[in-house]
Amino acid sequence: MPNNNMHLDRVFHALSDPTRRAVLARLGSGPAAVSELARPFDMALPSFTQHLGVLEECGLVSSEKKGRVRTYRIVRGPLEEAGTWIERQRALWEKRLDQLDNFLYELKEKE
Amino acid sequence: MMASTKYNIDPKLDLMLERVIDVPRELVWKAWTTPEYVVKWFTPAPWQTVDCKIDLRPGGLFYTVMRSPEGEDYPNTGCFLEIVENEKLVWTDALEGGYRPVDKVGHCIDTFMTAILLLEPHGSGTKYTAIALHPTEAGRKQHEEMGFHDGWGTALDQLVEFVKTL
Repeated sequence: MPNNNMHLDRVFHALSDPTRRAVLARLGSGPAAVSELARPFDMALPSFTQHLGVLEECGLVSSEKKGRVRTYRIVRGPLEEAGTWIERQRALWEKRLDQLDNFLYELKEKE
Repeated sequence: MMASTKYNIDPKLDLMLERVIDVPRELVWKAWTTPEYVVKWFTPAPWQTVDCKIDLRPGGLFYTVMRSPEGEDYPNTGCFLEIVENEKLVWTDALEGGYRPVDKVGHCIDTFMTAILLLEPHGSGTKYTAIALHPTEAGRKQHEEMGFHDGWGTALDQLVEFVKTL
């Protein structure tokens, strides 16, 4: 059953990696083939498909193979589940601190 | 002593985030304590911080206004509790300036928190730790049942937005 803590742990483990978050962000605007998803990353294809595997195992994305092309799409359910109060707070703080770090690097360049 | 032990972090209620950044400690401190800087990063996009006031002394006001993507403003008041320049900043939103307890009627916030920011030198950069302490789960649930919601939309919207804006 997806509705338990172990599953939530896997979802958050999957969300903890920047490559996988970037893939989700891309899939947020529509389905995409593996080659298209992999293009922005300087990473060997086997490593990249491992990331896709992690996302698919916990149900954040699903895939479909047509001929030689595998296409991935986002699945909304697990994201919905991941929205417990404390995880919303964590998401908020993570995002806040990401913005802080970006701002700090800009500031450092200027000074 | 480890920060998690020192501050009795409860992983079910509290958050502790550690970051190492190649930026001098003084600059990290400035980013947290200068209103013109705080507005640049404090609120997760697509929300924005449109106003900020900082009275940097124990009992001083920490005020921010967050604007939703739909253009609605949500003011947040807080009170500084402890200030050690370039090392430690502690504030809570349970109090406003002058240590006066906040009247939560009319505030769009689901629970109080105390935030602790710790800065340490780390090579030529800084290790910073952000801790958010929350009340017991019972208290928080009661807040939710009473209809206090945070200004961040539903869980789904929040996470989907979060993922999209990365």
